[in-house]
Amino acid sequence: MIRSMNKPRSFGLLAILLFALVLAPSVQSYPTGISGAQDGGCSCHGQTASSEVVPSLEGLPTELEPGATYTLNISFTGGPSFAENAEPAALGGFHLWASAGVLAPVDGMVKTNSDGSVTHTGDDKDDTGMGNDQREWQVEWTAPMEGGAKFTLHVNSVNGDGTNGGDLWGRLTAEVGPQPVEQASGLTVLASAILLMVVITLGCVIWVFYRQDPEAFAWERFWPWFSDYITSTDHKKVGTLYMVNGLFFLGVGGLFALIFRVQLATPGNDFLTQDEYNQFFTMHGTTMIFLAAMPMIAGFANWIVPLQIGAPDLALPRLNALAFWLNPAAALLLFSGIFSGQGADTGWTGYAPYIVSHTAHSGATLWVAGQILIVASSTISGINFMTTFCTMRAPGMGWMQMPLFSWSMLIATLMLFISIPAFGIGLIQVLLDRTIGTVFYEVAAGGDPLLWSHLFWYFGHPEVYVVVLPAFGVISEVLSTSARRTIFGYKSMVFALAGIGIVGFIVYGHHMFTSGMSPVLRFVTMLTTMLVAVPTGIKIFNWLQTMHGGSLVYRTHTLWALGFLVTFTLGGISGMYFPAVAMDLHLHETYFVVAHFHYVFVGGIVFGLYSGIYYWFPKATGRMMNEKVGILHFMTGFISYNLIFWPMHRLGIQGMPRRQHTYFITTDEYFALPPEAADWNMLITVAAFMFFASNLILVYNMISSGLRGQKAPSDPWGGWSMEWLVSSPPPTPSHDPSDLPVLEFAEIHEDGEPGFFGRMIQWMMIPEDDGGEEE
Amino acid sequence: MSYGGHDDHHHDHQHSHWGPHDWDHGHGGAPHNSWAPIMLAFGSSIFLLGFTKVFTQTWDSEASIWTYAIHSSQLGLLIAGLAIFTAGLTVFWRQDWSHSGSYEAKAVGTPFRTIDIRKVAVWMFLMSEMMVFSSLFSTYIRYRLGFDNCVELFESSIEPGSTVVLEAGQQCWLPASYFIAEGGYHQEYANAALGFMPDTLIPGAINTFALIISSYTIVLALKTAKDSSLSDAERSRKVGNYLSITLFLATLFLTFKLIEWFIGFNIGHPGDWYYFHAPSLSADHFTIHESAYTYCHHWDHHGGVDHKGACEPGMDAIFDIRMSASTFYVTTGTHGVHVFGGMVALAYMVLKAYRGGYTPQNAVSIEYFGLYWHFVDLVWVLVFPAFYLY
Amino acid sequence: MGEHGHHTILGFDRYAFNFWVLMIFTAIEVVAVALTFSMKGTVSMNTVVFILVSVGIVKGVGIAAIFMHLQGDEDSRVLTATALFPVFFIVVMVLFIGLTHPDAADTLPAWCRPGFYT
Repeated sequence: MIRSMNKPRSFGLLAILLFALVLAPSVQSYPTGISGAQDGGCSCHGQTASSEVVPSLEGLPTELEPGATYTLNISFTGGPSFAENAEPAALGGFHLWASAGVLAPVDGMVKTNSDGSVTHTGDDKDDTGMGNDQREWQVEWTAPMEGGAKFTLHVNSVNGDGTNGGDLWGRLTAEVGPQPVEQASGLTVLASAILLMVVITLGCVIWVFYRQDPEAFAWERFWPWFSDYITSTDHKKVGTLYMVNGLFFLGVGGLFALIFRVQLATPGNDFLTQDEYNQFFTMHGTTMIFLAAMPMIAGFANWIVPLQIGAPDLALPRLNALAFWLNPAAALLLFSGIFSGQGADTGWTGYAPYIVSHTAHSGATLWVAGQILIVASSTISGINFMTTFCTMRAPGMGWMQMPLFSWSMLIATLMLFISIPAFGIGLIQVLLDRTIGTVFYEVAAGGDPLLWSHLFWYFGHPEVYVVVLPAFGVISEVLSTSARRTIFGYKSMVFALAGIGIVGFIVYGHHMFTSGMSPVLRFVTMLTTMLVAVPTGIKIFNWLQTMHGGSLVYRTHTLWALGFLVTFTLGGISGMYFPAVAMDLHLHETYFVVAHFHYVFVGGIVFGLYSGIYYWFPKATGRMMNEKVGILHFMTGFISYNLIFWPMHRLGIQGMPRRQHTYFITTDEYFALPPEAADWNMLITVAAFMFFASNLILVYNMISSGLRGQKAPSDPWGGWSMEWLVSSPPPTPSHDPSDLPVLEFAEIHEDGEPGFFGRMIQWMMIPEDDGGEEE
Repeated sequence: MSYGGHDDHHHDHQHSHWGPHDWDHGHGGAPHNSWAPIMLAFGSSIFLLGFTKVFTQTWDSEASIWTYAIHSSQLGLLIAGLAIFTAGLTVFWRQDWSHSGSYEAKAVGTPFRTIDIRKVAVWMFLMSEMMVFSSLFSTYIRYRLGFDNCVELFESSIEPGSTVVLEAGQQCWLPASYFIAEGGYHQEYANAALGFMPDTLIPGAINTFALIISSYTIVLALKTAKDSSLSDAERSRKVGNYLSITLFLATLFLTFKLIEWFIGFNIGHPGDWYYFHAPSLSADHFTIHESAYTYCHHWDHHGGVDHKGACEPGMDAIFDIRMSASTFYVTTGTHGVHVFGGMVALAYMVLKAYRGGYTPQNAVSIEYFGLYWHFVDLVWVLVFPAFYLY
Repeated sequence: MGEHGHHTILGFDRYAFNFWVLMIFTAIEVVAVALTFSMKGTVSMNTVVFILVSVGIVKGVGIAAIFMHLQGDEDSRVLTATALFPVFFIVVMVLFIGLTHPDAADTLPAWCRPGFYT
């Protein structure tokens, strides 16, 4: 296998080399700048500062007197202004920034800029000042009442030919008075933390490799082991890659949240600028949905579905690997620009017309490109899973004998790959709008921003179910196994899933109640949205009834499932405020919405997936997870999670607006917020750090148990779906293709005579000649 | 058909040293590895990065307009992405090269039992493709219904007693068919070649027939490949020929599309009986950037060779027709991209066919590509009347 | 997978038959539009749209049924069901996205608009 990889590998290396060669010149110029003119220099007079030009800044005191006014003399020597100046009327210019205090011009040679810095007059054609004809300038600086200040001075030495060519510039920095403690910017924190995470992840990979067989450790064996993973098409290895990818980005998404929670901890905070805040919450949403939740779900699906339905592998293994690798490839595009302050700032919904306007950051273009790859990934994995479900269920396993996790994945996959092309087309339209200049969302050409909202939410709402249905499936499996009985109302569970799948497509208008869309559609989606509560309610009551009729074993995965029941029900109840148009208009732009969707996303999806991790970890690795650490994880996680999101309901009703980078305690008529809002926000921030930390417990538990945990039997929990038939960890292929398992005793789900749909399916099917009809 | 499992005689099949086909898990049953996915993924990522760098618009804040430019200095990135993608595709297909119909996996579950898994997968793919084109058509319907038709708008403005006042740069919908089927600027030439048909429609009409013929040749290729009465050599030759014709017709399709969009053509001179004049749409100012399109209600037909005739006084208006152009180019362009994808696959299949790769055992491969190809044809059946004729 | 067999339609090979039907109907399509053009004003646009839609349906069904083997094969029924599966979602999409307009808010009755209090 490895032997046959030589040629593709050299191809790959060549491709990477080619790529690096091409990319090298591009890296420098993209994305633009790090933090504006002070660092990048005066770009109009050449790219980098020249040592020939020596600026000087005189008049700064040694002992700073608060509030006093000082006259500063600016001058420079060297450069073309002295050497070969053709026209003495244009000699040079300067730009002076002060971090504190007030700069003011003394005469007509100097003017104040909008950001408080000062520069010479006559810097463009409209400005008739003579400041360009000098080599010396005077400004006044009023010291701040407390603390010192930093100065940054740029001077241009001009050759007077009227163009920028041949000009040189120099830089000088100066400090006066006591300097404040250096404050890290949010971006620096983020970049350092992500870098740290990458290093830790790579360290973990190497450590896992080492710990597998410490005796035989050799670096030469690392690359074959590693490349076997990254080129693998085995559903289990791809599933592992998905999980690693998903957990990594769950951490990154969490970092975004922590950083903007620091910003929101106190009213009127300025830790993040508005611009940074916009990028952070955009990337938080995008990362959590597309790079954390969906890959983790795909990871579970990869691991469990073929095992559970008795298939040797997925239907299209190589396309499965492709669907995975599109995720990290997309992540590179999605994140491009964020570290230079040019990341997407559009919100995860990327609403038009902002996203096609010139005010949107340049990173938004690549954000759109990255999303296109995510769409491709979802489409490919959707095709793959649909085919697997439809064609590769073990003999004897009819539709109504499929385990509920598989059912939920089937419905989720179906919804995903039917709905996501709408999003893809919308993205392509936006990408073309932003690159070649089509006008789909250009309001000046009659473009309709609502069309984007429609295309986005046509996908976006089913997407909500796409991520939550697999969690439903996990909970169904976990609760029935833990309650040591079959799931209550299997058939109603299946029809509830299918019902959610159908109704989920005609409710999306409730995201757009405030957008001014067609009132008829508003009314229709109001009703259908309320309808979704019916199948969801059926599921909740079935789970309760399952526990009621069973005898519950409290394992960590059971605890997470119970936690899910509480939080998801709460999220569902808070969700019932939104279908009512009048209530939605009132609450739409507040933290109540944030509370609601985090209750369903975190309390629903993440809790469900955690439950799944504890439940299937022994199957995947062959090792039991540490229950004590697991319970610690659950207790800290559950409590801190509720401390984060429960107060948000209250904040929302009090009127705290979402998507805004700060808030103020005020009695203003429209923006009134009581003083307690600040306390709640501080509590939320503290709890957010606790929640983040509690997840590190999970990571620790996974790694340490995976390496040193107790050996797991093939069926540690007493489950009876087909994944428990095979050994832990499962062999490859997962089920022997020449000896597939046969589902023989499925009376529990037996329907007897086929019903209406059963007869329909029989009519469609190819006539059997070897019996074994199961519907 | 027995459940699952591969019959033993398949195992003597010699597979490529590049790695086996998806479903050939080898003798040990182990899944094979492939570099193709990672190369395809990062290749497309780099391609998109290059795309956004090559086609970058900049905002001119003084004039409050976008300015467009193609930064050819950045083309390297785009080409590198394409190269990596192509290399990935080569690896992928090289692994398929030896597929001879053995290991063709069959469905075991209802309702697709005994059908090839790949066939079901292709249909699943077509389901999502249907949604792709419905999204495009939804966009089209929404905008077409949401805009006034330029011609009707103008006619209503010149009616006696009309209250409609046209502003310069009024947004309205000038359908592509105005240029293609109705002749647009070129009504004076409409009768030149065929007596009754506007020449601009010719490339589109030829394309329609080309696609239908190519649909037919691909089923003929399938039928021939399945024909076990032919000798291997003859079958390979015939299948190869049919596939080549299909590839040729697809190329013809895209060529005519480019001619219709950008190039246009002239045959002979005005007055010749065979005179043929098909200007391109962009020469007619039907472009995505046309915010000041000069609309002439009736051309006086006494101008020069091209549409140099002056408008009749009072019979012109300045319209903003960017939206109709955007919709037209993106929808037909998406279809064109599908045709191009089909051409790439066809090129592989032609090579494989001439080397005897298709036998009655694996003729279904041609059928599965054919399903896609017919679907592309089917979409054209809808696109053609909606965008070219109406 | 069985052989697709050499079914015939009206004595012709089914593929060839379908091919010629498609060619003829496309010709009808083009000629209909060309005629409309040359007889400007005498044929209503609705007639053209009617012709285009009906010809489109015939061609679409022909391609799907015969070229894509949705008719006559043993697996045709289940694959037809598969192919028709997205129809519901397409209808929803066209209704919700293609055919709704925000302008509709202007045409609401007075009692349904903001500012109506009695």
